[in-house]
Amino acid sequence: MSLKRYTISVDGTIPVPALLYDDEVLLISQEGVGIYDGPQKAPNHQSGIVHATTHRLFYIDNAHSFSRSFWLDLAHVGRTEYYAGLFTSSAKITLYLNDPPPRPSTSIVAERADSSFDTPAKSSQVDFWECEVCSNRNPIGLTSSAALVCALCGVPRASMKAPITIPSRQNAAGSYSLSKSLPSSSVNLAKLHLSSSPSPSPPVPEVPAPPATGEIACIACTFLNSPLLQECEICGTPLPRKPSLAPPARLPAKSAPASRSATPAPDSDDDDDDNPDKRMMRLSFRKGGDKAFYSVLRRALLGRAWESKAVAAAVEAPSSSSSSSSRPLGRSGINGILRSVETTAATAQSNMEDALADLEALMVKWKDMVKLAQDLNERLTAASTPAPGISLVPGAPLGGATTLATPAVEPEEATFIRSSLAQLGLQMANAPVTQDMVRDERKWFEELAKELAGVLEGSGAKGGEGMMRKRGIVALDEVWGGWNRARGVALIPPATFLQVLPHLPSFTLPPIRMRTFAASGLSVLHTPPYGSATFASRLVSILTLVGPRTTVEVAQEEDLPIGLTEEMVHEVEMAGEICRDDGGSGVSIFSSPGAPWAASEGGEVRWWVNIFRGYVWDGQK
Amino acid sequence: MALTTHTTPSGFVLPSIHAAKPFFTQQPNPATQKTVTENWTRLILSYARHKKLFNLRVEDATDDKSEWDEVLRNPRIQRRLRPSHLAAILSSMVAANQAMYEPPNQTSSVLLFWRSPEEWAQVLYDWANSTGHLNTIMTFYEIVEPPVPSPLEGLPLPILRKAIAVLTKSARAQIIAVADGEGVRFLPGVPGR
Repeated sequence: MSLKRYTISVDGTIPVPALLYDDEVLLISQEGVGIYDGPQKAPNHQSGIVHATTHRLFYIDNAHSFSRSFWLDLAHVGRTEYYAGLFTSSAKITLYLNDPPPRPSTSIVAERADSSFDTPAKSSQVDFWECEVCSNRNPIGLTSSAALVCALCGVPRASMKAPITIPSRQNAAGSYSLSKSLPSSSVNLAKLHLSSSPSPSPPVPEVPAPPATGEIACIACTFLNSPLLQECEICGTPLPRKPSLAPPARLPAKSAPASRSATPAPDSDDDDDDNPDKRMMRLSFRKGGDKAFYSVLRRALLGRAWESKAVAAAVEAPSSSSSSSSRPLGRSGINGILRSVETTAATAQSNMEDALADLEALMVKWKDMVKLAQDLNERLTAASTPAPGISLVPGAPLGGATTLATPAVEPEEATFIRSSLAQLGLQMANAPVTQDMVRDERKWFEELAKELAGVLEGSGAKGGEGMMRKRGIVALDEVWGGWNRARGVALIPPATFLQVLPHLPSFTLPPIRMRTFAASGLSVLHTPPYGSATFASRLVSILTLVGPRTTVEVAQEEDLPIGLTEEMVHEVEMAGEICRDDGGSGVSIFSSPGAPWAASEGGEVRWWVNIFRGYVWDGQK
Repeated sequence: MALTTHTTPSGFVLPSIHAAKPFFTQQPNPATQKTVTENWTRLILSYARHKKLFNLRVEDATDDKSEWDEVLRNPRIQRRLRPSHLAAILSSMVAANQAMYEPPNQTSSVLLFWRSPEEWAQVLYDWANSTGHLNTIMTFYEIVEPPVPSPLEGLPLPILRKAIAVLTKSARAQIIAVADGEGVRFLPGVPGR
């Protein structure tokens, strides 16, 4: 499937650096990697080393490095996906491949089982072009920059001559006629193949009719190729077509084993299935290293080193390119300079893309802000009577707020609000009241009091309980903190807070007032049941009904904090409504009369109704 | 809680407020405390009159054997007057001229004026008049320890001096130095006084 179609076999016994093009750089290697061909595991490629270069991805199999290794051109990779792995599932990198590539013309036939095809011959199959100036024979890399500029003198390849073909092909071309000698012996294929390919045999006049099997003899090497092939499996020479034959399917030229010619029927390789889902490969990282590899791979893909970049520009101004970028090994002269220019350009592009991504996010929000401001502007224009500041009260629904609005709004105020809104660029429905929204000091305090009332009592329609809903009495510091927390911005200083409090009762139902305890100076906000007179009468009636009570008992009865109860009871005591009995001394006197400290031992204070009030002497006259 | 009076074994009727626990506590509220102090003062003076006691010390509040015990302590409600509270009461009594510190220059012991010096003066004059001691010189000793029982028996000398001083102002007595101390001569002053 995709593995076959996109990858090219390579002799894994050769060290990877030797396999690289001149302008190719090995970036990272990772061992313990398995390959998935599409969604399934590729059974022959389950353990190997993966090397990522600027141009290609090499897989060198561990067990059968000679026969099962391959490389993949990064140019085919459309996008990648990273999967971090889960439990026993290894981390994976999915490579989605582009449309099926054209058959590589310079395929290296490496998977040959027959050792007669020695490696020098194979490497000599790579095309070269000769520089006009220095006559350096440049290899044709995959990058056109390398293909277009001489590596030695840097002179562009001006006249695009046809590549000088390799000796073996020349050889094959030269001995064209000898392939015709390929006679009837198509049966003894292997033997013939072994004997015929290294040394050409003498020319034989005419090609006989192809054998019944439909195999096509190569005109160069006389190898009997499968009719499905377009080029010779051995030497890559185009095969003579037979019109009667069905158009050959795209078969990978290099991976067909030698025995394939005997059984030429396409073995149900669903090569024609162009389902994009299947056009993918996975690298499964069984031994980790996935993250580092993925980032390097992405960088390599982004770098697109196989594309020619700015060749002409670099040639025109070679001196301008700085030598800042480290020059890879084996590069020199203008070629290296060009390379550094390319790297700089790539870096600049990636930086620019990052910056633009941020800008895009900002633009999305900016649109919202503008929309809000416009909305508010329209409302200001539409509202003839209500004061614009009113509608900004948090928590208050718009309808309810307008009832409190002042009848007339000076246009200049409206303009001011509008302009300040425009300056700010944002305005939310529950924004806290700030001083510049309101006309004068008194109004400002009233708005604040209204806002505070919302915080204390909960804003009716919205639900949610205010700070006072359940308690009826709250310490001032807590209210202040809670209010400012609710506001979030434009916090209210304590002085302003205290000035707001006198306005509070008119905005709350029941009225919430402040009282300060004389003894400690503690200030609280309270609902009417906790006013001093109300509380005193309630306390007295409790004491009258159930007898003396301690502070703790009173606190339990009133459901208040003990400290707060103490303050309130003290206040009542100071009003003379109750009196105290600090107790304690009696018991210890009788239990241990000798203990002098017993008299000073204090018990818990119990509160009595003021029995001294209105007492008439009834003792001895 | 219904508070009732209580009669002590010595026949003294304690007021109902003596049975209230807050009565033994020093109240922080000044108004309340004023009432408390007033009632304590009245109780102390009436008890002193009942038992003919002149001396009251702060230590009596912690002394179970004291003759003041049945007033300063209420075992029925397990309360007793604290010394600090008693000292405060005594101080207010001194300020109200219902007692005087004796000896002077300290605050833990007082002489109680369960009769005011003016009353004592009147008692003294009446006694002298009724016993026919007018125009005779008497020593203080003869007054406070008479051979026959008198209301002045056991009267502390400081109170006696105050009473005589009151009489002296109205020209009904005269301090005379005698051989073994001081003496007084009662003068027949304005009759009917």
